[in-house]
Amino acid sequence: MSAKPEFIDAAKAGNVLARKCIKCGELHLATVYFCKKCGSKGFSNSTIKGAGKVVTYTIMTVPPAGFEDLVPYAWVVMELDDTSEFINPIRISGFLPNIQKPEDLPIGTAVKVIGFDNHGILLEKQ
Amino acid sequence: MERESVCVLGAGSTKYGKLEDSISDITVQASVDAIENAGIEPKEIQAGYISNVFGVADKQVHLGPVVMSNLGISECPSLSIESACGSGSVSFREAFANVAAGFYDAVLVTGTEKVTHTGTDWTTTYFSYCSDFFYEGQAGASFPGLFASMARAYLHEFDATEEDLASVAVKNHDNGVLNPKAHLRKKITIDDVMNSPVVASPLKLYDCCPFSDGASSVILCNEKFAKEHSKDYVKVIGSGRGGSPAALQGREHLTTIPSTKIAAEAAYKMAGITAKDVNFAEVHDCFTVAEVIDTEDLGFFKKGTGATAARNGETKLNGSISINPSGGLKSKGHPIGATGVGQIVEAFEQLTGRSGERTVNDAKIGLTQNFGATGASCAVHIFQSV
Repeated sequence: MSAKPEFIDAAKAGNVLARKCIKCGELHLATVYFCKKCGSKGFSNSTIKGAGKVVTYTIMTVPPAGFEDLVPYAWVVMELDDTSEFINPIRISGFLPNIQKPEDLPIGTAVKVIGFDNHGILLEKQ
Repeated sequence: MERESVCVLGAGSTKYGKLEDSISDITVQASVDAIENAGIEPKEIQAGYISNVFGVADKQVHLGPVVMSNLGISECPSLSIESACGSGSVSFREAFANVAAGFYDAVLVTGTEKVTHTGTDWTTTYFSYCSDFFYEGQAGASFPGLFASMARAYLHEFDATEEDLASVAVKNHDNGVLNPKAHLRKKITIDDVMNSPVVASPLKLYDCCPFSDGASSVILCNEKFAKEHSKDYVKVIGSGRGGSPAALQGREHLTTIPSTKIAAEAAYKMAGITAKDVNFAEVHDCFTVAEVIDTEDLGFFKKGTGATAARNGETKLNGSISINPSGGLKSKGHPIGATGVGQIVEAFEQLTGRSGERTVNDAKIGLTQNFGATGASCAVHIFQSV
């Protein structure tokens, strides 16, 4: 069964559902089925706090369908604080509304996961 | 593994831009052009490879049999290949592998797309389905948005400016003006780019390639078949493919495209050459920043120096390496299913003396690089004149 319903429930609670490879310890998002490092299939679930820092982003002014009334908004790639000690920290991307200009969201800005809806993973500035 | 030497024997293309004819009509037109250019009979074709992404937008999928029937060879096997904006080169690669393995002597490879009648809203939305939709398209990222995120990372990490990126667009328009089949045939300036409306910051409208209609086609064959038909063919000396994490969030670095490096390494190895031996390259410049990253990943410039190299004119026609002599996706246009084949049409024309005013002087080796989405899939091919 897909891990997405569980992943979505975690996002709604402000968390990111991750999977830790039982064999080698590599961390992945819960939507992965095999370890990218060692190829094995056994994972333990790990709920990670959805707080982190902006790695990069854009401010969208020509949106796809469903976002017409929300421009400008940011689409953000963030790195989760609680995975920063791993060799490959977890990054996650999402929708961050009400961002007007680059000065509103310098790279490194603290952001967090606050939900999940028809706009995917929802983020806000901490 | 012992394999057949593979050649491009002929090439054809419609004009790129806003076309009135249907997708099946343009696909057939380009195919007929390639067949006539190669000087072969349709009945000599043993298989057809059609690359296309949004046939559904013009009410025609399963294009292969439609094309074959119009060529009078309905019995000839065909298939359609979709790999987002990289469909054309992936299709070419599959054809290459089959000819190299000896399954076929000669095949037709045609890429095609027809979307401009759907409008910018439709295309922006449907193209976003080529992303890792759960994380990207669903959360409001369009393709300009995804590449804008890479551009911001690039500008943050390296000593480069938005004006440097703009210089890529200026150069590609300079080349496209010389290409009769290009979509946007007008010169632009860095100020034009900087003053164009922001689509997804930091990318502006003139940093982005257009949505285009168009079809491109080549005839691929083994060398024995090529020699029997023409002295005017080009050898495929390298072919490589690679993959990257589908979503940008899965990548350790956002200023490089892993699939390009993997594909290039394989293609260079097969060809027995290095980046220094390449005279020109058609690269995937869906956005200005993409061309900069491509030229670094392909080994033409060190990481972080591609933008400055473009600004200094090193990539212009007959610069130290000519990048996108056709005008690239930016000016020639980007009919997504056709683009990868269109690059190979350009390589063939350059290496057989058919490029007119945009000729790269004394070119012997050309490279094409075409990727799908944000480079989640990529194919690199290397061609040599005979």
